[in-house]
Amino acid sequence: MAVSPAAQREGVQVGQSLADARALYPTLTVRHADPAADLKALDSLSAACERYTPWVALDPFGGGMGTANLYGAGLWLDITGCAHLFRDEEALLNDLFHRLNTAGYRARAGLAATAGAAWALSRFAAHEHNPSIILPTGQNITSALASLPIDGLRLDGNTVEGLERMGLRKIGDLYTVPRAPLSGRFGGAVLRRLDQALGTLDETLSPRRPCPAFEARLTFADPIGRREDIDAALTRLLEQLCTDLERATQGVRQLVFSLFRVDNIVVRVQAGTSRPNRDPVHLAHLFQEKLEKIDPGFGIDAVVLAAVETNALTVRQVGLDGGVDNTNRENTAKLVDRLGGRLGVGRITRLTPAASHLPEQASQEIPASGAPEVDCKDWMGPARRPTRPMQLLVQPLPIEVMAPVPDGPPVLFRWRQRQHRVRAAEGPERITPEWWRIEGDNRDTRPLSKDVRDYYRVEDEDGKRFWLYREGLYHPGLPPAWYIHGFFA
Amino acid sequence: MSATVIRTPFRPDPDVLQALRNQIQAIERHASAKIPTMGQNNTHQDETNAFVSSRFHSQTISLGAVEIDAALPWNGFPVQGLHEVFGDVAAHGFSAALVARLAKTKGGSAPILWCQQGRDLCGQGLMAYGIDPSQVIIVHGKNDTDILWAMEEGLRSACLSAVIGQLYRVPPIAGRRLQLAAEENGVTGILLRATPGKTVTQAPTAAALTRWRVLSAPSLTPAYGIGLGKPNWNLELQRCRLSALRGSGQDKKQETLGRPQSWQVEWCDETGDLSVAPILRDGSVEPQRLKAVG
Repeated sequence: MAVSPAAQREGVQVGQSLADARALYPTLTVRHADPAADLKALDSLSAACERYTPWVALDPFGGGMGTANLYGAGLWLDITGCAHLFRDEEALLNDLFHRLNTAGYRARAGLAATAGAAWALSRFAAHEHNPSIILPTGQNITSALASLPIDGLRLDGNTVEGLERMGLRKIGDLYTVPRAPLSGRFGGAVLRRLDQALGTLDETLSPRRPCPAFEARLTFADPIGRREDIDAALTRLLEQLCTDLERATQGVRQLVFSLFRVDNIVVRVQAGTSRPNRDPVHLAHLFQEKLEKIDPGFGIDAVVLAAVETNALTVRQVGLDGGVDNTNRENTAKLVDRLGGRLGVGRITRLTPAASHLPEQASQEIPASGAPEVDCKDWMGPARRPTRPMQLLVQPLPIEVMAPVPDGPPVLFRWRQRQHRVRAAEGPERITPEWWRIEGDNRDTRPLSKDVRDYYRVEDEDGKRFWLYREGLYHPGLPPAWYIHGFFA
Repeated sequence: MSATVIRTPFRPDPDVLQALRNQIQAIERHASAKIPTMGQNNTHQDETNAFVSSRFHSQTISLGAVEIDAALPWNGFPVQGLHEVFGDVAAHGFSAALVARLAKTKGGSAPILWCQQGRDLCGQGLMAYGIDPSQVIIVHGKNDTDILWAMEEGLRSACLSAVIGQLYRVPPIAGRRLQLAAEENGVTGILLRATPGKTVTQAPTAAALTRWRVLSAPSLTPAYGIGLGKPNWNLELQRCRLSALRGSGQDKKQETLGRPQSWQVEWCDETGDLSVAPILRDGSVEPQRLKAVG
C-alpha cells in the first residue's frame, strides 16, 4: 500500500482503510497493487544502478518479509571503493538522485558503514527536504541511530509493537537494556538486527548479479550513440581489461558488455571463447556482429565490460627450439569463437567417441567450444573395426523390403519411391540391445534400443550402397520390420 | 556502289593479348608475390609462362592414381583453391577421400572444417575414409548463407587443412570470394553438392579450380563372390579452370591437360588410394564372376 504526496497532504495515510480514505477525499484515485510489475521495475532500476557499483542487491519488501512493504522497496548499493570515481560520496548521491528524479522516482538514501544503519537512515532520518543522509566512516553509528524509532531495525510488526509496549521506542533505548531478557522475550532477531546495524555483527546480503573479478568501466560526459564511438569505447575497455588479466595470468571465457542508456535501460551483450583468451583484437572481433543489432536509444552514457568467467592462462612462451607450438591450436580456437559468435555456440561441434556399440550412439557431437581434447587414439577400437557408413541417419527410416529368406538379406527394397534391386549384400552384423540397462533408469539419458538388429551392407544395381537392418528375430506369421540407417559411398 | 567487306579471320594482336593477360593477372592475384614463381623466364612469353607456371606449380597432393594426377594441369590435385564435387552419394566418398589426403598436409594435425545443415556425420564412418574424427570441426548452418559464410571464415584462417561445405546453391559472387580466400591462405575448399538423383539441377560455380562429377558404379565382386568389393565410382573431371591457359599448343600432351575426362575408379579403404579400374567388356563387372552374383 502506498500513498502519493498529493493524497498525503489531504490527510490520507498508509494503513488507513479505503472507506476512511474515501470519506476524507471522495475523488481519491485507487489503483490495485501489482507486485510483479513493481519487482520488474525495481529490477530494471537496479540494473541501471550498476553504473555506480557492480554490487547491487534488491530489497523488494523493505527490510524483511514481515514488514510487508510498509517502508517502501529499496536497493542496496555497496559503493566501497567506488565513490572516488564520482569525486566523493556526495557527488555520487547527487548524480543518483538527479537520475532517479528525471526518471520520475522519489527516493531517499542513507549512506553508512553498515547495511542496517544505512537502511534506518534512509527510512527514518532522511525526509523530503533532505533526502540523503551521509554518515561518514569513522563517525559513531551508535549516536547517529540512537534517536531513530525502533522500526529502523527491520523487525516485524509484532516485535515492534511488543517493544513499544515495554517503552522502548527508540533504538537508543535498547543500548542500556540487559541483553539476556530481551533475547528471551523477543527471540534473537532484535539483538541480531541491532548488532548488524551497529556493525558488531556481520551481515551478508547477496548482490543481484555475481560480481565479476575483472571489470573495466567508462563513463562519458555526453551520451554516445554512434557505432564507431561504441567500438572505440570497447577497444579501450578491452585493453584495460586485458592488461589486468595479464597481470593475474588469467584468460577470459565469458565476457559481458553492458551499455547504460540515458533512459535507465541496460543493454547487455555477451561473448564467449572456447579457450581462455586475452587478446583484445580477437575479443573485439567477437562483439562486432552483436553490436550491429543494439539500439542506443537516446544515447549511452556509461559502459562496463566484465569478465564473468575466467580461467588460468599463463604467459605464452614462444619456443626457439620449435617445441610444442600452440599457435595453430589458438587460431583454431579463435575460429571456433568467431563461428560460434554468429551461428551460436551449439552449432559448432566436434565428434567424440562414446562407450557404446550401438552405431547411433558410438559417435557423439559436443560443442566445440571448451571441448576436451580428443586424441585419435580414443577413436581406435579393436584392430578389426566393423564398417560404419559416413552418413548415418539420426533416425532409422522404415523401408519396404522383399527378402526371400526371413533371416537373409533383401533382394529388393523401396526407398524414397524408388525400387532398388540388390546386387550384392554383406552381412548380417548382429547388434544386440544394451541388456545391462534397465528401462526407466533416469541416470542415462540416451535412448534405449529394444530389439536385436541384423545389419546388412547392400549394393544396388547402380552401385549405391546402403546400410539396412532388420529389427527383431524371425517370428512366423509376423512380417519383419526393415529400416535404412545409413549410406556408404 | 556497294562497299565490299573483306572478312579476315580474327587474329589477335599479341601485344594486346599480353596486356589483357597482365590485367587479368592483376585482378585475379593482387598478392601474386606470395606464391613463388618457378617458371622458365627465358622464352619469349616469359611473363605469361611465369604466371601460368606459378599456378601450375602450386602445392599438390596425389590422388593415388597416376592417370588422374597426370590429367590435371598441376600434375596432381592443387591444395590451394576451391574445388567443386557434384554427383550422388559417391560424391561424399570422393570428397572424404580428398579430405583424408588433405588432412595429412600441414603437419597432419590441422583441423578440418565440415559445414553442413544436417546432422548425419558419423565419426566411425569418417575413420573408414582415413579421416581422424578428432580433427573435424562441424558447423551446422541453418541455410546456405550460413554455410558459405562459415566456409569463407574458415578459408581465411590459415590454420585449417581443408574446408568442406555441403550445400545446394552457390551464388557466383560467393564462389568467387571462396576461391580468392582459398588461394590467398593456401587452404583447400571443397563444395560438396551431392544430389540424390543423377541430374545436376543447380548451376555450377565458375570460380572453382576443378569440377568433378562422381557417380556410384557397380563394384567388382571380390574373390569367392562373398560380400561387397571395393567401392567403384564413375569419376568425371568436367572442368578445369586453367585449361584455357595451357601452353601455346606445341606440346601434344599439354593439349589434353585439363580437358574433360572420365575414369572408372576403385577406392581402396586400406591404402586410401584411388585406382583406375580395369576396363572390362561391359565396363564394370568381371564377366566370369557375373554368375556368382546371380
